[in-house]
Amino acid sequence: MPAVSRRQLLKSAAGLACAAALPGLASTPASAAPVHDLLNALIKKYSDAAKAAMANTDIKALFEKDGFRDYLDVYPVGDLAGGFVWKPGMGASFTGPYSKLQIKAPFTDYLPMNEGPVLDKAKTYRIGFVFHGFNHPWLISLADTAAWEAARHPNVQLEVIDAEFDDNKMGQVIDTWIAKQFDGIVLWPSREAPMGPPVDRAIAAGIPVVSLDRRTSSEVISSEVLGNFYANGLQQGLYLQHAAAGSGAMICNRKDLGSTADSIRTGSYLEVIGNSPDYKMLANYHTNSQRTLAFKSTADALQAFKDIAIIFNTGGEEAMGALDAVREAGRLNSAPGGKKIIILANDDAREVLKEIRTGNMDMVAPYTPLIGDIGIRAVIMHIGHKAGLLPEAPPKLILTPNLPMITREKMTIEGIETLTPDEWPYAYGPEVAS
Amino acid sequence: MSDAALKTSSAGFPSLVTVLRAEPLLWLIAAIIVTGAITSEYYLTGQNIENLLRSVSVFGLLALGMTVVMLTGRIDLSVAATMIFSIVVAVKVMVLLGDGLGLRWLVKGNTYAGPSMPFLAIAIVTGCAVGALNGIGIAYFRIAPFIMTLVSLTALRGFNYVLTDGHPYYLRSPVFAFVGDQVVLGIPFSTLVFLAVLVALILFVNGTVAGSRFYAIGGSERAALYAGVRTERFVVLAYMISGFCAALAGILFTARLKSVDAPLASGYELTAIAIAVIGGTALSGGVGSPWRTLLGSLVFASGLNLLAIWGIGTWYQNLIVGTVLIAAVALSRIGRPRASS
Repeated sequence: MPAVSRRQLLKSAAGLACAAALPGLASTPASAAPVHDLLNALIKKYSDAAKAAMANTDIKALFEKDGFRDYLDVYPVGDLAGGFVWKPGMGASFTGPYSKLQIKAPFTDYLPMNEGPVLDKAKTYRIGFVFHGFNHPWLISLADTAAWEAARHPNVQLEVIDAEFDDNKMGQVIDTWIAKQFDGIVLWPSREAPMGPPVDRAIAAGIPVVSLDRRTSSEVISSEVLGNFYANGLQQGLYLQHAAAGSGAMICNRKDLGSTADSIRTGSYLEVIGNSPDYKMLANYHTNSQRTLAFKSTADALQAFKDIAIIFNTGGEEAMGALDAVREAGRLNSAPGGKKIIILANDDAREVLKEIRTGNMDMVAPYTPLIGDIGIRAVIMHIGHKAGLLPEAPPKLILTPNLPMITREKMTIEGIETLTPDEWPYAYGPEVAS
Repeated sequence: MSDAALKTSSAGFPSLVTVLRAEPLLWLIAAIIVTGAITSEYYLTGQNIENLLRSVSVFGLLALGMTVVMLTGRIDLSVAATMIFSIVVAVKVMVLLGDGLGLRWLVKGNTYAGPSMPFLAIAIVTGCAVGALNGIGIAYFRIAPFIMTLVSLTALRGFNYVLTDGHPYYLRSPVFAFVGDQVVLGIPFSTLVFLAVLVALILFVNGTVAGSRFYAIGGSERAALYAGVRTERFVVLAYMISGFCAALAGILFTARLKSVDAPLASGYELTAIAIAVIGGTALSGGVGSPWRTLLGSLVFASGLNLLAIWGIGTWYQNLIVGTVLIAAVALSRIGRPRASS
């Protein structure tokens, strides 16, 4: 598949924009189009509108200050590799090798690979998997799926290293694998800029490299398995428009500025709500995926502002921290008029779904970590293609399917049919008592 | 080899046999290298040796600066923050200068494209200035070193975010590529820079009156004062050397990554302290040497590299490194004459 940037948004989705362009403030009929294409069409619709104008001065100021346009315009939005169409219910179930949790991975049929030896059956293929955070449920689940896929192939040897959120250490790990002449490398980079040079060195040494979820600054990387960040932020905005009808005072708990997750999710959220002049941005925090920081910033905001109606969270950890602070302050129903504070989340952790089920959180845009298997399959394909064993390499951009948002009650917002927590078997992380 | 021996031998370097007998760390380094060579076909490859030496360069430079400060009986917790701050300041100042001259030195949004030499000079000056501020606060305003440099660490980390707005800056000029990637006669250029600073510091600390003042202040500051040493000046100088080393380490570090980003190098100050301590530098001051800090750097880097080559996870690496470090420090104490400790 050729590289497709958001600017070159797929033509096939453009037609769907018309269907999706119905007024968004009321429940609308569900679209028959695949949810991936429908969300892409909505991305185009709201992005175009935000480019034309942004009527809300608070939102516009933040959008411009943080330079979201630069990030959004180069984030790829497009078709799935090999014409794959994802439907709820797809995927394999297994026990996570690291977390020991029961997992249902949604995309095991994407770029499928049969169980058993791969490529040259007489050769053992050494693949390195480096990421950050064996102490983070999302990231353990990512490693789980990578290790599961590697274990399906007896002649694949996987070395898994946690770089402990030190970009330099991740670079050194990659350099070590170059020295050890590994056959392939899969990585989860925390930040884009510092990981480009190590990837470039690996590629120069003839080692295929695949990044998962986030991007690196390398222009020669073999493949990028990219998630649906754009659809995440978009759906948070769509839900808010649906629930708040265009007005309310909000705070934001965001990830590191400069991370792909923050740039794209927050940027697309702001694109959706930017033309509603009655939203007020009270405070904007970078809590860097840390629940304790999100708790603290939210607690501070609750002290400072009495009219908080909306809490936007870039990730699940942030959302849990924010909810804890709201609960501790006894402020769940303290929005103007005695209404409940709307809490918007990303990341479909089991504990987040529990809060959706109980009505404490209002929506979550799923962002599954269960994509490590795609990275392993992709790098094996690259190794095979390089060795002349496979006719084709996988595409450079391997986009993961856009997933519909999860809400307590089933509803349809701008043609997107939401799923309830009970309809979502792909949640990650430890079980929580209901 | 005791510090006294090192100091008295400044006219000529001690013989290899003397050094081997007196330095248990050398045996440890040799043991790590032999183990690596026996257990992995990749350990002694040119590529891996380069990796190891690059790691020595950055952490070694930070530890060298830390050693000088620790000789005076003080500590510098701000080295890692300074290392990033000096590069961030260099980018910002150069971009402002460019704007003043009507030249656009920041292209593609956040790629620095201005001249490199003034950039490097500003980074070094910034590092020295941060060190001077720390030193003045500690020496003249009597702020506890731990507090002063902890405040600097926190403030500089904050400044790094404020100045960059959280965005990375790319450093992609040929000079950065040379500094970060060039290998000269099998040795990375960054290692040559480290070795040059090491030699300069050995000569300064062991071969000059000014250098001996650091030992005197760390041994007994009151005695040094009574002897007429203007201790404040030397404390400021020690922190300026630490800031210089941090800025230089920042240049080597960011040249390798071809970018600078506010959160980089978090926690590296602890690694620098650990290396200095492994090298026998006393936290109480008055004992230590740049030479031993080199050995500490080599133990640290070669050990970590061996574990990485074995494919051992970082949790276990941390555990093993901690255990080995305690053993190394104990061994170095056992092998050293009582007078030096």
